[in-house]
Amino acid sequence: MTLALQASGITKRFPGVLANDHVNFELEQGEIHALLGENGAGKSTLMNILYGLYQPDEGQITVNGKPTRITSPHDAIAQGIGMVHQHFMLVPPLTVTENIMLGQESVVGATQVLGGLSVLDRRSVAARVRELSHQYGLEVDPDAFVRDLTVGAQQRIEIVKALYRAADILILDEPTAVLTPQEADELFVIMRSLAKQGKSIVFITHKLREVFAVADRISVMRAGQMVGTVKPSEATTEMLAEMMVGRKVILTVDKEEAHPAEEILHVQNLRVMDDRKHMTVDDVSFSVRAGEILGVAGVQGNGQTELTEALTGLRRVADGHVTILGHDTTHATPRQVVEVGTAHIPEDRHKHGLVLAFPVRDNLVLCSYYHSPFAKGVELDFPVIEKQAEELVNTFDIRTPSINTSAGSLSGGNQQKVIVARELSRPVKLLIASQPTRGLDVGSIEFIHQRIVEARDKGAAVLLISAELDEIMSLSDRIAVMYKGHILDTLDAETATREQLGLLMAGVVKEGAHV
Amino acid sequence: MSSATRAQPTTTQSALLRMLVRAAMPALALVTAFVLGALIILITSGNLGTVGTAFRGLIYGALIKPSGLSESLVATVPYILLSLAVAVGFKAGLFNIGAEGQFYIGAICAAFVGQAFHGLPAIIHLPLTLGAGALGGAIWAGIPGYLKARTGAHEVISTMMMNYVAFRFAEYLVSFPLKDPLATAVQTPRVSSAAELWTFADIPARLQDPLNALAVALVMTFLTYVLIRWLFARRLPHRLTRWGIAVAVGLITFVGLPPLTRLWWPFPDQYDRLHTGLLLAILAAVGVWWLLWKTTIGFEMRTVGANPTAARYAGVSITRNIILVMAISGALAGLAGTVEVLGVSICRCLPLFFSSGYGFDSIAIALLANNNPFGILAASFLFGAMRNGADTMELYSGVSKYVISVIQSLLLLFAAAPAVVRWMYRIKAERRVEEEAVAMRGWGGG
Amino acid sequence: MSTATSTLARRVPLRGTWWVTALLTAFGLVAAWWLLNLIIGGQCGEKCVTDTLAQMFRVATPIACAAFCGVMCERAGVVDIGIEGKLLMGAMVGYAVNLFAFQALKGLMGVEAAGNLSRWLAVLGGVIASVILAALHAVVSIEFKVNQIISGTVVNILSLGVTGYFYRQFLAENLPPGPGTFPIMNIPLLDKIPFIGPILFQQKPLTYMMFILVFAIQYVLFFTPWGLRTRAVGEHPRAADTLGINVFRTRYINVLVGGMIAGLGGVWFTLEAVDVFNPGMTNGLGFIGLAAMIFGKWSPFGALLGALIFGLGNSVTSTISIFRPDVPSQIPQMLPYLLTIIVLTGVVGRAIPPAADGEPYEKQ
Repeated sequence: MTLALQASGITKRFPGVLANDHVNFELEQGEIHALLGENGAGKSTLMNILYGLYQPDEGQITVNGKPTRITSPHDAIAQGIGMVHQHFMLVPPLTVTENIMLGQESVVGATQVLGGLSVLDRRSVAARVRELSHQYGLEVDPDAFVRDLTVGAQQRIEIVKALYRAADILILDEPTAVLTPQEADELFVIMRSLAKQGKSIVFITHKLREVFAVADRISVMRAGQMVGTVKPSEATTEMLAEMMVGRKVILTVDKEEAHPAEEILHVQNLRVMDDRKHMTVDDVSFSVRAGEILGVAGVQGNGQTELTEALTGLRRVADGHVTILGHDTTHATPRQVVEVGTAHIPEDRHKHGLVLAFPVRDNLVLCSYYHSPFAKGVELDFPVIEKQAEELVNTFDIRTPSINTSAGSLSGGNQQKVIVARELSRPVKLLIASQPTRGLDVGSIEFIHQRIVEARDKGAAVLLISAELDEIMSLSDRIAVMYKGHILDTLDAETATREQLGLLMAGVVKEGAHV
Repeated sequence: MSSATRAQPTTTQSALLRMLVRAAMPALALVTAFVLGALIILITSGNLGTVGTAFRGLIYGALIKPSGLSESLVATVPYILLSLAVAVGFKAGLFNIGAEGQFYIGAICAAFVGQAFHGLPAIIHLPLTLGAGALGGAIWAGIPGYLKARTGAHEVISTMMMNYVAFRFAEYLVSFPLKDPLATAVQTPRVSSAAELWTFADIPARLQDPLNALAVALVMTFLTYVLIRWLFARRLPHRLTRWGIAVAVGLITFVGLPPLTRLWWPFPDQYDRLHTGLLLAILAAVGVWWLLWKTTIGFEMRTVGANPTAARYAGVSITRNIILVMAISGALAGLAGTVEVLGVSICRCLPLFFSSGYGFDSIAIALLANNNPFGILAASFLFGAMRNGADTMELYSGVSKYVISVIQSLLLLFAAAPAVVRWMYRIKAERRVEEEAVAMRGWGGG
Repeated sequence: MSTATSTLARRVPLRGTWWVTALLTAFGLVAAWWLLNLIIGGQCGEKCVTDTLAQMFRVATPIACAAFCGVMCERAGVVDIGIEGKLLMGAMVGYAVNLFAFQALKGLMGVEAAGNLSRWLAVLGGVIASVILAALHAVVSIEFKVNQIISGTVVNILSLGVTGYFYRQFLAENLPPGPGTFPIMNIPLLDKIPFIGPILFQQKPLTYMMFILVFAIQYVLFFTPWGLRTRAVGEHPRAADTLGINVFRTRYINVLVGGMIAGLGGVWFTLEAVDVFNPGMTNGLGFIGLAAMIFGKWSPFGALLGALIFGLGNSVTSTISIFRPDVPSQIPQMLPYLLTIIVLTGVVGRAIPPAADGEPYEKQ
């Protein structure tokens, strides 16, 4: 049993954070080793160190028995380490072949003497790509442009990219974040095939279920430390969850039964186009009533983003109607939608939800600064604004040195709390929450889930859009599944199973029939 | 992974130190720029003595010689207004380098309106002319603003092009339709005296006209009200009381100021060119400060500048704000041109081939002052003094005025890249997320 | 990239609006009518037409060089506003080197040879000066991560100041006679082709260089490893970084190469157009070059086309001015700038820059 990779005593400090604290990690040859931990535990940091993107402050790395230093991705690649990042490292306007040979370009022999200015040899690289794709069962089209490909296809390209560079050790960072349960299963099949052919695989995840499906061993990290390594046969989800968080975790949200009342949001035959003029929301109809949570499940990229934008007035509606509380908001501006009583937790808190350069105080009134009591006519009333800010910071337990600290200095969880505080501090009739807990630690996730259920219990209608099936299943009263711009079906949350939802998310409406 | 920067614990000591460092940076930038300038003079003249004479001439001309300080202040005024124009744009994420063109258009509008009417009293004619200049500048900047808002046309290029169009257009107007038939030089006719900006020396004479005294009284009333609202908001909460006091002050001004100034007035020299445009500029600075930091409109502008996507989410109309910001910026620049014609120019007109060179300097000033209106007041004085002193410097030492431009561009370099100064002096950078407008990143495509 | 414009993209149709297209068409029609009048009226015969078209290529040279500089920089992700300053600096240094090298050399090798050598030395000098400015921009924006638009403006202002200063100190009066500008280089045989010959093959060296450059840049960008890496760095620098490509080094080299090209454009002013230097003589052509780059969607041939369009506008209006002296010269002089604005407003459709254009790269 040779160790493909061994890391001992790895320590990495960032300003204010100890990301890795004397971490030990071993990867055996031909094994699939899962690295589990919640957001912020340090798993990505460790892997980035192994791939040469960061340098450890302390510690030693050994590859195939030889102690070594990995100072750049170049070194890592040379040592046979390949990485598939969570956010794909592909250049969209280039072809698959060009992406794969980037950094290690093949040139036409005759022109080789010109060095960087010699002629690219796309043909031989394309041939090699086809070879690899047959060998490992990874379907790729060498001549396609990356921007035209599906997410699953892009992921396969990333894997081929690593194999092209003769990687024996593959690091996969949250590979299933963008896949349906079925696509994830297909990926696991590929992983097992790779392992059987001698590759050693590390795969990072925060989803407990997956590790049982494919891992040979599981290592758990928490708060920068390696907590322990177990075999799947010896572990349970509760045990792993406790290792991940450090205390007993309630894996399901405690909520009372829903008492839906009048209809708040009604969407009828909605059609929305995306930036590239594709109809990403295609004839969608649904409604949400006061006091219930409608969860929209589905892999990202099936129109959820455009749906949310259309509902909140940020994107033009091509066809159809949206009614909130009886008002026709189909062509309303964002401000009008808010004034009708809508609160919106956007999916990208840095881009959409906050102005990072502004203080917390200003971010908390971002949607309401223009009317009383925060403004008298055209002038802002700062004493009132500051009082409001102090109150919200207390009520929502936002950890910040002061209300004048810039939002950019807060942690992800606290930033999200600022957004939630801002949105829920108004009287809310309709709450639209998009990926509300993405990238957050368990404590913040629990907090936000509680707030969402609280809003529902106070009589708001909640539309929850999330790619995390667990979140949808634990919070929703009803679950709609979105696939390629359609709502395929709406199920009752009590009776829906993961398998049912997974099939719908993959576009399978009846047994075997694809949409 | 959670954000790697967390809030640093702050102690009073380290806060004080940081404040000192922050103030030191512009000072260091200044010193370094001057040292480099001295080096250039040394190298090109080959004589250390020339450096000394040059700087002595500079300081003498700027501050010490009779009416040196007042001339420096005269040169400061257009800088203040132009830099405010640029700063307003920056705060909203827009790069208005067309300030110089808007300056010209404002000047030409003012030159026209100033002489188009005869016999209008100053209380009407002066605000009318100022308004015309501001409007001209606002429209000239509003066009690129509109184009950017509707089509995404990048304002760096479109405002730059509008500059060149403005130069040619103004040239054309001054040479043909608006040419003064009575003057030997190619220039517009002199504006009527009612439209001129009063020089401080002239005030006692002006105040003898009751309409002018009324105008001054009205201004005093307004200023008093604003002052009371700001300083004594709690002690005098009732509107009626505030207005009462303000009106009282206005009445006293109307009745008492004219005779008082005849008895005693600290600006006796009739050749002193210092004019009331200075007050206008200071008021503009306060106005911009109030607009940007105290109003909902300014809040929206700054949000658009800091994060336009979040601004949309907050319900802010990006289109409306882009156009509004460009219009305000253009109005300020147009006002600068107006002040130039009505207060600075000797002929109270706009001559041909009038080259101001103020445009790029004001970008430097805005950056040096970090877009803060009060910093702009200080930095504008610095530039104005340097510009004024440069003539004397050239007279004394023969060193060309352009070395001042070089020093100013170095200053801009250090202002734009404080990191460069830090690197030169090995000062450690502090990790702060400062409120900086993302003065665009690129061409905004896709 | 969160800019005000990309957020606008969601809600505002960004094709060229009808009134802009109408404006452009109107402008084109008026100019064409005037020109046609001259031709029909016999005042502008074939020679006049070929002269105008040849002039188009001449005036397009600095614009195209500016546009190529922009393409090289921006394909790698660095916005370069400072091209105007580089042109100006190249013009002044070229002029100065031309004069003083001539003085130094004419004793050694005779007037004609000295003239030739000094002109080429001047080209070298101008290119070096421009590269120095490019290096400044590169260091400030790549190393110190200063906003690239600001850093480019610094280059412009610095260049204005320095060239003005040196002009006043050394170049304004009492100058020895210099060797003059480049003479026209006729390409043997090809220049005898009717109509096309005088337009394309009776030009000065820098214009020929421009022709060569457009093919060279196209080749490098789309057929070589260097071009592939450059484009990757400009679109997705982190992806390139994870593959071992040095993002900073790629950007530096591209910016410096762009500086060289801009230097060539700069010396055109004083070594091909006129034999004198005036402060600010570049008159916005650097910015027009940027507009040409956007018009050409960041590709070399497109940029050349854009430069030719502006060159045409320029030469047609100057031809008209010659034959119609009653029109005040300022009016036609405004037209190239107005044309730039019209083109910018997306008459030709939305232009999408390289995705990472303008964003300093932070290694995490």
